Amino acid sequence: MTAQEAAFNRQTIEALQPIHSPPTTFWSKYMWSLDHKVIAKQYLWAGLLFLLIGGTLAMMIRWQWAFPGRPVPLLGPIFLRSSGGVVGPAVYMQLFTMHGLIMIFFAITPILIGAFGNFCIPLLIGARDMAFPWLNALSFWVFAFSQLLVIGSFLGDLGAAGAGWTTYPPLSTAIGTPGTGQTLMVAAIFTTGVASIMGGINYITTVIRLRAPGMTYMRMPLTVWGQFLTAILNVLFVPVLGSAALLLLMDRVFGTQFFIAGAAAVKGGGDPILFQHLFWIFGHPEVYILILPAWGIVADLLAFFSRKPANWYKGTVHAMSAVTILSAVVYGHHMFQTGMNPLLGEGFTTLTLIISVPAEVLFLNWLRTIYKGSIRLTVPMLFALSMVFVFGLGGLTGLYLGANAPDIYLHDTMFVVGHFHFTMAAASFLASLAGIYYWYPKMFGRNMNQTLGKIHFWFSSVGITLVFGGQLLVGYAGQNRRLWNPFAYEVFKPLQPLNRWTSYFAFVLFTGQLIFVWNFIYSMARGRKAEANPWSVGTLEWSIPSPPPVHNFDAIPVVVRGPHELSNPELEKKLGRDWVGQAEVVAGEEPGAVRTAAQGAT
Amino acid sequence: MHSLTFLALCVLPNPFEPVKLMRDASESGWKIDEMLETTTIFVSILFLMTVVWMMWSVVRHGPKHKAVYEDGADFKSWRWTALAALLIFVVVDGDLLAHSTAFMFGTFFDFKGAEAKPGAVRIEINAHQWAWNARYAGPDGKFNTEDDIVVLNDIVVPVGAPVIFQVTSTDVIHGFNVPEMRMKVDAVPGTVTRMWFQPKETGVFEIICAQHCGANHYKMRGTVTVLPRGEFDRWAAVTSLNATRGFDPKDMEAHWGWDWAEHARVE
Repeated sequence: MTAQEAAFNRQTIEALQPIHSPPTTFWSKYMWSLDHKVIAKQYLWAGLLFLLIGGTLAMMIRWQWAFPGRPVPLLGPIFLRSSGGVVGPAVYMQLFTMHGLIMIFFAITPILIGAFGNFCIPLLIGARDMAFPWLNALSFWVFAFSQLLVIGSFLGDLGAAGAGWTTYPPLSTAIGTPGTGQTLMVAAIFTTGVASIMGGINYITTVIRLRAPGMTYMRMPLTVWGQFLTAILNVLFVPVLGSAALLLLMDRVFGTQFFIAGAAAVKGGGDPILFQHLFWIFGHPEVYILILPAWGIVADLLAFFSRKPANWYKGTVHAMSAVTILSAVVYGHHMFQTGMNPLLGEGFTTLTLIISVPAEVLFLNWLRTIYKGSIRLTVPMLFALSMVFVFGLGGLTGLYLGANAPDIYLHDTMFVVGHFHFTMAAASFLASLAGIYYWYPKMFGRNMNQTLGKIHFWFSSVGITLVFGGQLLVGYAGQNRRLWNPFAYEVFKPLQPLNRWTSYFAFVLFTGQLIFVWNFIYSMARGRKAEANPWSVGTLEWSIPSPPPVHNFDAIPVVVRGPHELSNPELEKKLGRDWVGQAEVVAGEEPGAVRTAAQGAT
Repeated sequence: MHSLTFLALCVLPNPFEPVKLMRDASESGWKIDEMLETTTIFVSILFLMTVVWMMWSVVRHGPKHKAVYEDGADFKSWRWTALAALLIFVVVDGDLLAHSTAFMFGTFFDFKGAEAKPGAVRIEINAHQWAWNARYAGPDGKFNTEDDIVVLNDIVVPVGAPVIFQVTSTDVIHGFNVPEMRMKVDAVPGTVTRMWFQPKETGVFEIICAQHCGANHYKMRGTVTVLPRGEFDRWAAVTSLNATRGFDPKDMEAHWGWDWAEHARVE
């Protein structure tokens, strides 16, 4: 790209994104704002609130596994008054159902995708806002409405949804779980799916159309790659979930029999397994929908805080893309025990194991990024490193479950629960925290307390490893999941002490999060004012003030290099620092001659 | 201080003590256990290497270490990443895939071989909220006739012979799961699924419902009692006689069962 071409591209892209006057009233600024940064914060608040709710439910489940049938202290007298604080079997099934659905759709999704996607995509690619700001706001408010439906589910006449997060019919139809709670929850899943699709279309369009001149695909920060691929998966597969939810709603409300079969009282000509196919065609990509943004964030942070370029950037991008494609064709491993055709089972086993190749490339790239670096153990870096640790555990334990023979023993055990909590919960939770600590100064213009952050880190990383590690161990010993009282079985009785220990660690983990709540809220008002680039990183968001103005960039930047240009000895000599901005032209450097072959954005 | 810690560790119950694979009472369960144990060894090695690598990097390559400017993007560098990934895939995943495939086709789906063995026992399972109905064909070898043995939750089988199950459910999905036999299959309404195992020792083994099936899911417990062949035959004869005597043609609820051969096709 010559200087003239760059100037031309910039004019075009400037014309696409004129600067509007900033909103002035409270409502237009904070509530009905079209600013992607405000919508990101709305998603963040909504997600954190539901993370707290989901976590509270988890504590009650853990209490039940430690002390089955004993009244829950603190929470029992508030939420379980009618049963004297005891978690009964019916309440228990609502607890684990709502915990799973809330955490996946209403806590991790809004934080990792809603908040970071909205905040990062425009800022990191050099855009003034999303491609469709109005659609963006609509997406959030539809999501907020789906959260209201979740709250409504708790108030249902027979309690909240109870058919498990997988919502398998016939249990999830009126046969197994009558009452408005389950209906509202299925409606909530459908509604939040609509919001996800709107967000996904917006993210994809923004990344394709609004990259600043010179911001080629291979110069995008990996955070943006993660969000981009996740958005593609969302747009492709959430509609499948939507269709499943809609058919299920019809079974529940209008008496259709899409998913109902059986004898006697429940006679029906439908097929319960059909739902599982629809659910997992979505459900397996969903695992990657939640982890891809986390991978992106962590891959960037490891490079930034090792003061070194990300190892084999292109390899990481290709690996993430390969996982995205493969994620669509492995879902059958969730259904190995449904009497699957032998050849189909074999095919799904093979495809599932093949996914470990790109996953290993990605993982090895992380390990090679930190090697020979100059590691700064800042709070975001600590969280990123612990994410690598827990994702390693989660990924490796996936091996057992990907092959259909060992899965016979492990299917439906706590081993599965431990495995997906390490990948989906621990890894995405720790990456979310890494992202929050990292972008907080840019989001709110103030710094969080780093000492409190480090204390919070130890609680979180050690706590989460012990809790989900405990689940893996009891699962390896065979303990089945979703049992109100596992110790009603002779074979599980010896596992009670370990379950109890795991619960203690869970209580400590939860308590440790209060440090974060305090730090997050207090710093917003009283934190040290943040400078524009507190981490000495060269990506575009750090070249503008903290917090950025409504229009982000006064002039759309022209990008001349990749996102991880750190510790380049030549540039260090010229600049006297180990980082250089993505849009920073260094004296003596032709903009077109820098590193990657440059290409116009439009 | 150290001796105190040591003493405490000796006296206190060790919570990890029960963390091992469940007892295996079946002829072919060892094949699954072998896969699990081999994978555990591989996984432990890989994870240990990861942790050591990370610790080393953090300790040795801290702020005082000058970062080396390399991006690993040239072929000479990335080929090692790709090679390591492929090596892990071929060794660890390859081992798992080979053993898993061998087990599925050699054992799990070998219904033909199991049916052909002398003394094989056929049982139909009809699950419902929250119990296991089981039906044996009785002396006439036909299901849903007068001489059928019908039991609830307490299944009795002989040692040393294949026990073949055809499983369905009347209401919601359940999971017919006998972990000590290393076998599990979903009970799906409207479908008949199959599994088989061959007990190698006598004893009582728990059936634990594996699929969430409602509030009392945790109570959906049954047992498989494995008896010596002679005792089993006596039990079967007596129970079948009692069943014939107590047969009530008007009790439609008790009349279920299907033609075995229809679902015993060989893939």
